[in-house]
Amino acid sequence: MSFDQLGVVALLLYLLILVGIAEVARRARRETSPADHFLAGRELGVLVVFLTLYATAYSGNSLLGYPGEAYRRGFSWVMATGFMMSIIVIFHALVPKLRPVAVRHGFVTPGDWVRHRFGGDRGGAALALAVALLMTVALANFLFAQLKAMGVMAEQVTGGLVPYELGVLLLAATILVYETLGGMRAVAWTDTAQSLLMLVGLVSLLVWLLGDSGGLSEMTRSIARERPEAVRVPSALESANWLSSILLMGLASVVYPQAIQRVYAARSGQVLRRAFAIMTFMPLTTTLVVTLIGLAAIPRFAGLGDVDADRVMPLLLGAWAESGPVFTVAAVVVFMGALAAIMSTADSVLLSLGSIAAEDLARRPRSAAETTRLGKRVAAGVMVAMAAVALVAREITLWGLIELKMELLIQCVPAFLLALHWPGMRARPALAGLLVGTTIAVSGVALGVPRLAGIHTGVVGLGVNLLMVVLGSFWEARLPRPTRE
Amino acid sequence: MMQPRTRARLRGLLLVLIALLYVASIPWYREAGSSSEIWWGLPDWVTWAVLCYLAAAVCNAAAWLLTDMPEEGDGEPR
Repeated sequence: MSFDQLGVVALLLYLLILVGIAEVARRARRETSPADHFLAGRELGVLVVFLTLYATAYSGNSLLGYPGEAYRRGFSWVMATGFMMSIIVIFHALVPKLRPVAVRHGFVTPGDWVRHRFGGDRGGAALALAVALLMTVALANFLFAQLKAMGVMAEQVTGGLVPYELGVLLLAATILVYETLGGMRAVAWTDTAQSLLMLVGLVSLLVWLLGDSGGLSEMTRSIARERPEAVRVPSALESANWLSSILLMGLASVVYPQAIQRVYAARSGQVLRRAFAIMTFMPLTTTLVVTLIGLAAIPRFAGLGDVDADRVMPLLLGAWAESGPVFTVAAVVVFMGALAAIMSTADSVLLSLGSIAAEDLARRPRSAAETTRLGKRVAAGVMVAMAAVALVAREITLWGLIELKMELLIQCVPAFLLALHWPGMRARPALAGLLVGTTIAVSGVALGVPRLAGIHTGVVGLGVNLLMVVLGSFWEARLPRPTRE
Repeated sequence: MMQPRTRARLRGLLLVLIALLYVASIPWYREAGSSSEIWWGLPDWVTWAVLCYLAAAVCNAAAWLLTDMPEEGDGEPR
């Protein structure tokens, strides 16, 4: 059987398994409440919380975007290992404070926290709406990136037998089916299977690449010969960008709605503690591995001129598959692992989008079953819309999309991290800061100025945002507070 | 069993140590554009960064295991 045919069989088998898991999850459903559908009844254990967090955090961007960036930038992309780990560090500022409040008050979405914290403040409702809107835009962007990556992967694994467009539609439909059937349970269980596949695949590919390159030292020497600047100590501007990326990714990722919802969904605080303790090592086994994979491509594709960054990983896998029948099977496993990583992120994003739309944006009182149904319908609508965009906009690089999403999300940080730790924070300055910070971040992207002296414009926007929140809250504290009837 | 106050203090120290490791991981103190030795198969500044991140991971795991999260209210239905 050829690589292409094997790819088609593996793809179909994989999709069937996912739908099967979803059916089991549907049967495990206890009720039709939003907490059961969107948070799996708050009963996830250590292994599932860890693996679903892992599969959600490591996505198409990590599997396709990061090797591409390592190929483009050289060894300074080791910064990715640092910024992925910084997420688990910065969670210290969020989880221990948020989790007990969330459980006590039965939160389902991130917006529940904002309404709880600022509900009595003037401007509290507007702030909750602004946070929900910003998260929706960022998530839609993220979903688009995953769909694009899914199409590329499906095309590559089947050698074009399943073209990009069909891949996007087929995989989007599968996600929609298993998510609608099984909600967070299906997402968490499929994430568990997908993350194991991804880990095995990546480590196998790295072992082959290092063996084929004559070892790590020889690979580094080959890179130094081929592209000396990739090995040299980075410039001051690149070092500033390194620090800025740690701040941007670390701070923005802790307010990922899907991550916050996993904090709500864990069975207990102890489960979360243990899951995060394991999760902190995953950048070393995943991000560092994909960075080395991208670097190994530098001498390998030396004669090919400018290689599209997002195609580095598929090209490597294609080369691996041609090395022999065993490697063909192994390459298909890695392809499926990469696809699994992408789909596991897309399903989590979609589930969050549905819950935010049903609970935070459509505030009309509904029954629990109606809210869940609305969430499913919105998720289906967004999936169709983003799939349509993914079919016509193939030229945007994945890393560009991640940065844009992060620069928007990071503006929500004060409403969570600062609000959890500072009782004096007020809603109206938080809203003003969020709007100004977002304007700065979007202007930077629109004007083609993504960084100022190596610092992301979103991080600059966050600085202004924080300053406005602090000064405005002190100012408001001097004014008499309105009394509620 | 460690006292809650001791746990909190130790956790705080670990978080400070992680912040220092992060600052040390970025080669801002090296001459930009200079070439480097190969340590354990990687340019020295890259190996140093990886070692900093490995140490940060160990400290972070310990800090999570020392984190106190009040369990009161866990499992309450909505």
